[in-house]
This record gives sequence, structure tokens and C-alpha cells, in this order.
Amino acid sequence: MFVSILRQGDFLIASIHTALDDTELLRFQEDLVTQIGTSRAQGIVIDVAALDVLDSFASSALRDLAQMARLRGAATVIVGIQPDVAFAIVRLGMELDIHTALGLEEGLAYLESVTSGNRAGGSALGALRGVDR
Amino acid sequence: MSAGREVIDQDARLDGSDGLAELTGLIRRVVAGRVDSREAVDDIVQETVARLLAASHRLDGRAVGPYAVVTARNLVASQWRRADTGMRHAHRLFDPRAAVAPDEALLEREEAEAIRSALDRLSPREREVLLAHEVHGRDTRSLADELHSTPGAVAAQLSRSRAKLRVEYLIELDREPPTGQCRPVLLSLSAGDKRRQSELDAGYHLLDCGYCAALSEPLFDRRAAAAPDEVRVAVEVDADIVVVRQRGRDLAMQAGFSAAEATMIATAVSEIARNIVRFARRGEVTVTVATDGDATGVTVVARDAGPGIPDIERALEPGFTTYGGRGLGLPGSRRLMDEFVIVSDVGRGTTVTMTKWRR
Ligand SMILES: [Zn+2]
Repeated sequence: MFVSILRQGDFLIASIHTALDDTELLRFQEDLVTQIGTSRAQGIVIDVAALDVLDSFASSALRDLAQMARLRGAATVIVGIQPDVAFAIVRLGMELDIHTALGLEEGLAYLESVTSGNRAGGSALGALRGVDR
Repeated sequence: MSAGREVIDQDARLDGSDGLAELTGLIRRVVAGRVDSREAVDDIVQETVARLLAASHRLDGRAVGPYAVVTARNLVASQWRRADTGMRHAHRLFDPRAAVAPDEALLEREEAEAIRSALDRLSPREREVLLAHEVHGRDTRSLADELHSTPGAVAAQLSRSRAKLRVEYLIELDREPPTGQCRPVLLSLSAGDKRRQSELDAGYHLLDCGYCAALSEPLFDRRAAAAPDEVRVAVEVDADIVVVRQRGRDLAMQAGFSAAEATMIATAVSEIARNIVRFARRGEVTVTVATDGDATGVTVVARDAGPGIPDIERALEPGFTTYGGRGLGLPGSRRLMDEFVIVSDVGRGTTVTMTKWRR
């Protein structure tokens, strides 16, 4: 699958580099959730700039991913949604229900702002981190 | 050549994520062995993978690895050429465009000449049908009536003729191929004929023949290919959904739609193609350029012989779903397009026809 997941501090940066089909999207979802667990990341940025289309399946896959991440104590932000793609999502009648940001920098800034309280508590508690933010 | 052998030994294929990861590693080794800058390596690897994915549905499994290697090499070479041109032009003080203009005219003449010669290589019947369709705008149905054939058979013949024309055109612009194997190999690649590629061992030939390796680049460049006015994709597995929506978007862009509108069309195509995969197991999606007086549009037809939809009214309500999706497939597509007609016969199948007009 043409996806990369990099670690940067307490965060994971997942970049999708090409259009993914449904099976690949689900695998990506699974891989990322697993990695949140093993790396004890506090937040994930998902860069979808290369996705040609965010249809109902892809949108709900991302939404489910954000929810699973939240259950593991990580916040999610989606970056790089192309304006055309965003427009089509709205026309399709989807609501993404996930925090989005323009680019990587803004995405990371958002994660910093929502996780700063948690990290002050020390990383040893990472695995026991609460679900609520 | 050693890098190429490596592919064959590893039997690198695109099926599955491991295949692509392996291929990406291989491409990286090929590129890193020739380029120093890490950024340049990353760029070329990414571009190679993008082209590989675009061409993969037209390649026999064993030709995928060789094609990846050859494409990476071509990209490295064209990067050297660009860098070289940049250096030579760096000291120029005058506007280079003035000097380029006469060359362009010459180039145009050469291209026209090449197209004429390439047309001569087609059989009279191939030529006649191709010209009737491309130049005189005859549609496949009326051609089929005249030839006592079917529209599908005519479309297939047209696509073979286009593939042949593309090969002959490139050969005309270059030189005669060095081996007897070259023409059939190039033709099988151009036509996306996987069985023929396998028979000819097209992958091995690509690695061994510099001539064919160089021509494979323009051959697979979708922008250089003759503009088809119809996209027809058999839809059976997840990956087909991506293929058909990408090709649908390309056709919409060709028909003059804005990127935003083309994305809406691609999204609608994605939704209805998924319905085929989920409910009917297999079917077909065609995307064609539509005209109505002065208006130009794109029509998408999705056809399957699946179980059909008993209650269409309900299926068109947002939120109605039978497979755990969000139930936005049909109503969502309808909102994205201008016209939407669904005909379903329980036990016999479903046809969705939808059109979007250019603003
Ligand atoms: Zn050759």
C-alpha cells in the first residue's frame, strides 16, 4: 500500500500518496490504529492531499478511524483535502465530522493545542489516557 | 540490466500491498544508483510509482516489474536532459522563444507526416472505420449497423486500431525497430493486451531492448494517447472502482469540465461503481461525452445483472443502506449529477444512467 506513517514526537503523520481502493483504505485504517497503540501517539495527522475522491466510503472510513483513534486516546486531524474534493463531499451530502486543517503545519499546531494538557501529565500514563478530550 | 534481472528473480508483482512495497524498494534502488540528491530520488520514485499505478491495469503481471525499472530509468534520463538544457540556456540573454518558433512549425509538419505514414500501416478496413469514427464523428452503433457487427465489437476494433496507430506513429517519429519482436511487443503494450504481453514475454523484452524501453514512456502517457470519447470499464473488484472513477474524471476534463465538476462526476462514478461491486458482484460502467444541441456533458451508465432493487424510492432516500455503508450511494450520486435515471428489474439487474452538463 502506498502510504507512509512517520513518527514526530508524540504524533504520527500518515500520508496517503495515491488513490486507495476500499480494501486498501481499510488496511490503512487498521495499520494506523495498530500503530497508535504501539507508539502510544497522542495525535495523528492524516494527509489526504493525494486522494482523488473522498466518496461516502472513504469519508466514513476516515471518520471511523478518528473514532477508533479517540478510543485509544489520540486526537485526529485531516489535512490536505483539495477544495474540489471538499466541494464534492458537501454535494454528496456527507459530513466529515472530523477536525480538518489546511496543511501539515496547521494540523500539527492543532494537535499541540488539544493535547498539551495531557502531555503535561507524563508519558508513562500514555496507555491509560482518558478517552475524553 | 542487472537491476532488471533482480525484478524477474523476485517475481515482483503489483498484487497486494507487499508487491507494491517491494516494487517501490526496487525502484528506489534503481534510482538511487543513478541519482545523488535524495530529494531528486524521492521525486523520481514517486513519479515512477504514480505512472506504474496508472498503467498497471494494462500490464501483464510479469511485465509490471520491468515496466517500473524502465520507467524509473527514463525519468532519470529525462531529468539529466532537463538539467543539461537548463545549464545551456542559463547564460542566454535573449528571449529563447523567438529562436524556438521555427522549430515548432517544423515539428508540427513532422508530426502530421508521421500520422499520415502511421495511418498507411493500418489495413484499409481499420483505417476506414477509424477515420469514420474519429474524423467524421460516426458513432459505434451506426458503424455496427453498416458493418453487420455489434457496437461492442466495433468499439473493440477501434481501440485496437488506435493502439496500433499510436505505435506506428511513435515508430515513424523515431526509427525502424531494431528487432522483429519490437512491433508486436509495443503493440501488446499499447493495446493493454495482457495475454499477448505474456505470450511475447514483453517484460523481458522491455529490459533488454533500449528502443522499446524508450518508446514505452510516450506509449503509456495517457495525455499523448488518442483522445477516446468513451470509457468502458468492467467492474468487479474494489480496484476497478478507482480505475473507472479516474478514467471518468479524465474524460470529463477532456470534455471541458472544471476540476471541481470533474471531481463531482468522479465521486458519483465511484458511488455507483461500488454499488455494482457490493450488490451485483460484477457489471460495467461506461462514461461518454454527451451532446444536446449546444450543450456538452458527460453521461455515465452503470449496468449490472445483479439482484435488482425492489424498492427504488426507498433506495433513493439518504440513509437507506443494506450493507453497512452510509447509504449515500444512490441519493448522493443523484445530488452530484444533473440527471439521474434508475431502472431496476428484480432478479434481472439494475441500470443507472446519469448525466452532468457543462456550465
Ligand atoms: Zn524492442
